[in-house]
Amino acid sequence: MITTSTNMYREPSFASSAHRQDPNKCRQIRTRLHRLVSSSLSLDAGWAQRHIASCPRCQSRIVGVGKVELALSLVKSQRHHLDLLMRANVQAVGVLKHSLRETPKAEKLKNILPKPKLSEQLSRYNHAAANVAACSAILLLAKIGVFSSMQGFQTHSQEVLKQYYAGHIGQDLADEIFPA
Amino acid sequence: MFDKAASYGLVWDFSASAAVDESQRWILSVMQKHGQELVTMLWRILGNDQDVCDAYQSTFLRLAHCQSGQKPRHLKAYVFRTASNVAVSMLRRKLVERRGLSATTADARCTGTPYSGTVGSVAASPAHHFDSKCLQETLRCYIARLPEYLRDVITLHDLAELPYSQVGKILGITAATARVYRCKAVQLLAVWMSKERQE
Repeated sequence: MITTSTNMYREPSFASSAHRQDPNKCRQIRTRLHRLVSSSLSLDAGWAQRHIASCPRCQSRIVGVGKVELALSLVKSQRHHLDLLMRANVQAVGVLKHSLRETPKAEKLKNILPKPKLSEQLSRYNHAAANVAACSAILLLAKIGVFSSMQGFQTHSQEVLKQYYAGHIGQDLADEIFPA
Repeated sequence: MFDKAASYGLVWDFSASAAVDESQRWILSVMQKHGQELVTMLWRILGNDQDVCDAYQSTFLRLAHCQSGQKPRHLKAYVFRTASNVAVSMLRRKLVERRGLSATTADARCTGTPYSGTVGSVAASPAHHFDSKCLQETLRCYIARLPEYLRDVITLHDLAELPYSQVGKILGITAATARVYRCKAVQLLAVWMSKERQE
C-alpha cells in the first residue's frame, strides 16, 4: 500500500522531468498521431473508398452532404445589389429617434457603400507579390553565388601566384608576400 | 408654484432625453461597424432585398429598445443573433404563406377556376434539382427547420462567414462544439434534401 502510494507520488514527477527534458516530444507525437489518424481515417483511404464504391447508403449520404455544400456555396456566391446596405441603413435610421437621425454619422450611413474586405483588396496583389518575392529570391541567390565564386577565384589565383613566386624567388619570400 | 415645477420638469425631461439620445449614439456605431456583415448574412438567409431591409430595421429597432435603451454587454452577439432570429422568423412566415398559396392554387386547379399565383412548393419537380435558385430556396427552407442550436452555427459560420472561434464566443460554446454542431447540421440537411429527392 505504501509502495503504491510512493509510486503514485513518483510517477508525475518523473513525467514532468521527462517533459522538461524534451519539450518538443509531445508535439512530435501529436503530429505523428494526427498524420497517422488522418491517413487511415480520411475518406481518401483505400478501405473507405472500397466500402463507398459498394455501399449505396454511404453513396447517398456523401451525395447529400455534397449537395448541401454546393447549395451553401451557391448561396454565398450570390451577390446582392451594391446599394442594399445604403437602403437598409436609410430604413433603419428612419425608425430611430429624431436627434439620432439628424447626426452627421447617420447622414454618412445613409450614403455608405459596401467596402471589400482587406483580404479581398489585397488578393489582387497576390500574383505581383509572389513575382516580387521570387525575383528577390533569385537576385539574392545570384548575389550569394557571384560573391562566393569571386572569393573562390581570388583564393585560387593567390595560390597560383604563390606557387609561381615560390618556384622563382624561393618559398620564404613567397610566404612573406602572400601570408596565410 | 406649479408652473415653476412644471418648467423644471420639462427641463429635466429634456436633459434626460438628450442624455438618452447621447447614450444611444452607439447604435449608429454598431450600424457602421457590423452593417455590411449583417446585410450580407441577411441577404444570404432571405435572398430578397426588401426582406433584408425589413429584417435589418427590426434588428436595430430591437437593439434601440433592448433593456430600455441600454447598451447590451455582448453587442456583436446580440446583433448577430437578433438579426438571424428575425430573418429566420420572416423566412418561416414566408414558407407558411407559400404553402397556403400553393394549397389555394391546387384547390383552384381541382375546381377548374383560374388562379394567377405562381408560387408553388419549393423544388417540387426533379427536373429542377440542379437549378441553382431552386437548390438555394430548398436549403433556406431546411435551414429554417433546423433546431436553434444547429441553425445558429450554420447561419453564423456559413452565411455570415464568421470563424468558429467567434461563433463560439457569440453562442457561448467552444469552437470545437461549434464544429460538431456544424457537422450535425450539414448531416441533417443532407438527409432532408435526400429524402425530398426520393419523394
